[in-house]
Amino acid sequence: MTQWFVLYRKEWRELVRSYKLIWVPIVFILLGASQPVTTYFLPDILASAGNLPEGATFEFPVPRAVEVLAQTLSQFGTLGLLVVALSCMGTISGERVSGTASMILVKPVSYTAFVTSKWAAMLTLSTLSFAMGYGASWYYTMALFEAVGWQEVVGSLLLFALWLGFVGTVTIMFSSLLRSPAAAAFSALASAMLLSVTASLLPRAFAWSPGNLSKLASEQVLNGSVEGAWLPVIITLCCMAAALLASAGVLRKRPSLDAV
Amino acid sequence: MDQLTNPQLWAIIGPVVALQLLLMIIALVACVRAEETRGPRWMWVLIIIFGNLIGSILFFIFGRKGMS
Repeated sequence: MTQWFVLYRKEWRELVRSYKLIWVPIVFILLGASQPVTTYFLPDILASAGNLPEGATFEFPVPRAVEVLAQTLSQFGTLGLLVVALSCMGTISGERVSGTASMILVKPVSYTAFVTSKWAAMLTLSTLSFAMGYGASWYYTMALFEAVGWQEVVGSLLLFALWLGFVGTVTIMFSSLLRSPAAAAFSALASAMLLSVTASLLPRAFAWSPGNLSKLASEQVLNGSVEGAWLPVIITLCCMAAALLASAGVLRKRPSLDAV
Repeated sequence: MDQLTNPQLWAIIGPVVALQLLLMIIALVACVRAEETRGPRWMWVLIIIFGNLIGSILFFIFGRKGMS
């Protein structure tokens, strides 16, 4: 266990050194904060930028506060997902290509510890950044619109953080399977998209799918409660464990890429 | 929205603008301190300054060699 913490600390240092610990949270906070702010100023922005005919008036319905938060979630579902996948696309393939992986793995370090330490660092980073971004959005929504209860926010935060963590885990798995970081990010994003598309097209047949998580998160924030979230949550956790095992297995077979 | 005064407006968008500037400055520092960038360094400086949020993100993800 101490060995695992040493590896985890190394990953943490890596996050600091590559500035990820700074830029990923800032990007999430900016994404989260800008959603309520632009929604609030939308009528003004349209009035000053659009070439509307003289005297044309638009009545914009003021969105409910929870709707603004749900919009923030959908923003995180596209751009946030992209940032998570791109920021961890080279976690394993990069170390294999540079030879760091084989240098660490000749020491008596278990492959599982090697993979899970990276995974835990990714999970910490993505969850922390997402929580900060969602918190910023919550703060601005409260300031500009109206109060939102913490049950709605915390429940949806946990569901959505699991979805982000799932996509990050899949990215790490592809990163150990594929040589190119870009291919890993692309495969992870494509499978995330496939999962959410199938889940929204066939809601009955895919009620168990991890792709439901983002939808469940926005339902949670809109209605304050959600039904049938347990199955996708458990399935997602199992999928994450399987992806980690697969990743460790691939690494055990081929620790370095230049030896192939 | 018309009843917003200028200080109130800045109280709302000030933190967002400040954070964006902070990100840009960190990206510029990282760009100057990077051993090697992918493509010319001045091009990345321009991308960071004029690309706002996206420019900085692009630099952090693709800009530095050996650090994806």
